[in-house]
Amino acid sequence: MIINRHLVTIAFRQLQNRRRQTFLTLLGISVGVMVLITAVSLMDGLLQSFIQKIVDIAPHVIVSGERVKSPVPDQLIVSGNGNHVVFVKKVNRERQDVIKNYPRMESLIKSDSLVQVVTPLVSMDVIGMFGTISQPVQLFGIVPFTENEIEKFSNSMVSGKFDALGRTPDGIMLGTTVAKDFTARVGDRMRIVSQSGVIYSVRVVGIFKTGINDIDDNSYVNLRLGQIIGGFSPDEASDLYIRVNDLPKDGLVASTIERETNYKAITWEQKAASVVALFKMISGIVYFLVFFVIMVAGFGVANVLITNVLEKSRDIAILKSLGFKRSEITLIYLTQGLIVAIIGAAIGCVLGFLLIEIMSSIPMASSSQSFVSSSHLMMGKNPMYFVWASLFAVVVSLVAAVGPSRNAAKVNPVEILRGER
Amino acid sequence: MNDEAIIRLEHVRKQLTMKNGGEEIVSVILPDISFDIKRGDFAAITGPSGSGKTSLLYLMGGLDKPTSGSVFLDDQEISALSEEELASMRNQKLGFVYQFHFLLPEFNALENVMMPMLARGRFSTSEARSRASELLSRLGLSEKLHNKPNQLSGGQQQRVAIARALANNPSVLLADEPTGNLDSRSAETIYKLFSELNRETGQTIVVVTHDEHFASETKRILNILDGQLNSDKRLE
Ligand SMILES: Nc1ncnc2c1ncn2[C@@H]1O[C@H](COP(=O)(O)OP(=O)(O)OP(=O)(O)O)[C@@H](O)[C@H]1O
Ligand SMILES: [Mg+2]
Repeated sequence: MIINRHLVTIAFRQLQNRRRQTFLTLLGISVGVMVLITAVSLMDGLLQSFIQKIVDIAPHVIVSGERVKSPVPDQLIVSGNGNHVVFVKKVNRERQDVIKNYPRMESLIKSDSLVQVVTPLVSMDVIGMFGTISQPVQLFGIVPFTENEIEKFSNSMVSGKFDALGRTPDGIMLGTTVAKDFTARVGDRMRIVSQSGVIYSVRVVGIFKTGINDIDDNSYVNLRLGQIIGGFSPDEASDLYIRVNDLPKDGLVASTIERETNYKAITWEQKAASVVALFKMISGIVYFLVFFVIMVAGFGVANVLITNVLEKSRDIAILKSLGFKRSEITLIYLTQGLIVAIIGAAIGCVLGFLLIEIMSSIPMASSSQSFVSSSHLMMGKNPMYFVWASLFAVVVSLVAAVGPSRNAAKVNPVEILRGER
Repeated sequence: MNDEAIIRLEHVRKQLTMKNGGEEIVSVILPDISFDIKRGDFAAITGPSGSGKTSLLYLMGGLDKPTSGSVFLDDQEISALSEEELASMRNQKLGFVYQFHFLLPEFNALENVMMPMLARGRFSTSEARSRASELLSRLGLSEKLHNKPNQLSGGQQQRVAIARALANNPSVLLADEPTGNLDSRSAETIYKLFSELNRETGQTIVVVTHDEHFASETKRILNILDGQLNSDKRLE
């Protein structure tokens, strides 16, 4: 079988004859491809910007006070009915949720060459009061200098200077959400009520906005003040935040810490796993819906070909009597499907590209409901979107073209040539 | 005249089985027919309507297969060929002209004539083009090369169809009432064309016709009646 260009010419001419229907089919495929590309770009962009923000301004590994293993039993009594009784000798009553002697831990962790920064934190729930407003606040005590190397607060200040926190022992830095709730401004004094009921007066030195709503809900004081408010001893911390030099190695760093110290260490991937899974599920649903758009476009292709084959049965009979083979007739109609798919996909790619450009330039009001807020819609940009969407359209169109094309090949020239008037 | 048979029919039977509800109705179109066509022959097939002329022509041209019996073209039994082989054979050895011109409406006269030459890739596009325009000029259509079928008169369309049938230099030209749809003047032109072709190039021609006058201009008349060969007259 010679795939010759005359078959392509025949295919083209027949399509040109049915301009309106061909145009509508092209439109269907173009829109399908455009929507698919845009949807993929949108979903991918959201996920990427989310991950990028985490990687940039979230700790790669968090060591918490939680112990990996519970203490081993000092005494074990096995009773006959399957119940066991375990005795553990408690020498001193210690808090099971804090890291003890964090400076030693810190230097141990820092000795790992993969680790770039380590910083201790204490965290607690307190009540904040400003004027007549009082409400719960998630408060952290931090070492501003090293904390900044991880969470990059100094880039996110909307008012005040981040450095001021280090210089102000009673300073507090508010997330933008908190500041809005209290209507507090830099320089204002507000009060913090600890869980044991003690009231501390603090001064607002800065307000930040990272765009990650979980963080913009928090407030920060110096580590020492945090330890006092939360009832920690000076060598206790709730967590250690770690930033590694080489991101894929964060799992290695975490497992080393767990093995060597028995404190629980989790990576950002573990922490974000559920959110990433949610993203993937939403994208899955979106793609599924978009696939239907292209499926419908596929029906359009089938429709054009079925009408063409029916209308052209006389021409098919002629071609056959002239010596065109079954396979060549099939090829003519498969080619028609392919032509529509390729032109449609090309137009769809151009439209998709334009739509992505337009969407990524639209300013967006941030909403506190989303995981990440930013001034513009983050659209993913990857040439593979276009390749895959086009390929998909081509495959769907070809599949749609198979039936009509085979019917075309089945045309019996004798029947047609006899019956034709 | 060369005595070599180019088409030979041996006890060819054609019947059609039709389903009518649960019953099968067998209708015999050609009970048993044998004859041959010699190289350089110019034969007219005549007979009343429904006698089986078209059926016979399609069998001779390998468009249809006999129920039993054999059809030979150039000593090759075509009833034994596969569909693909038949297609190639039709392309290379046979030219068909139908009662209705059956040109491809999307292509101009030149392209329609080129089509069978390009189907098998035996000719390059430029060879096919020059051969097609030569053929069309010989048939008096040198001015109409680029006209689409709907820009041609019925007689002109039929001449394009004849040029197309001749494109691959066929062993046999088979025509089924090629003038049936034309006025008498155009019909006359077509008859003259056939006679000329046979006389000047020795083209073997088999033509189904109702026209007594035209039939009498050929070299041989095969008269068909109820699917049987009623008479086989040589005129010379
Ligand atoms: N597909 C078919 N189904 C049923 N009967 C058929 C079919 N094709 C042909 N016939 C019958 O076969 C017989 C011969 O038909 P054919 O077309 O060969 O006749 P013909 O001599 O060419 O007639 P005409 O001069 O009218 O063209 C007719 O009786 C016709 O009804
Ligand atoms: Mg007939």
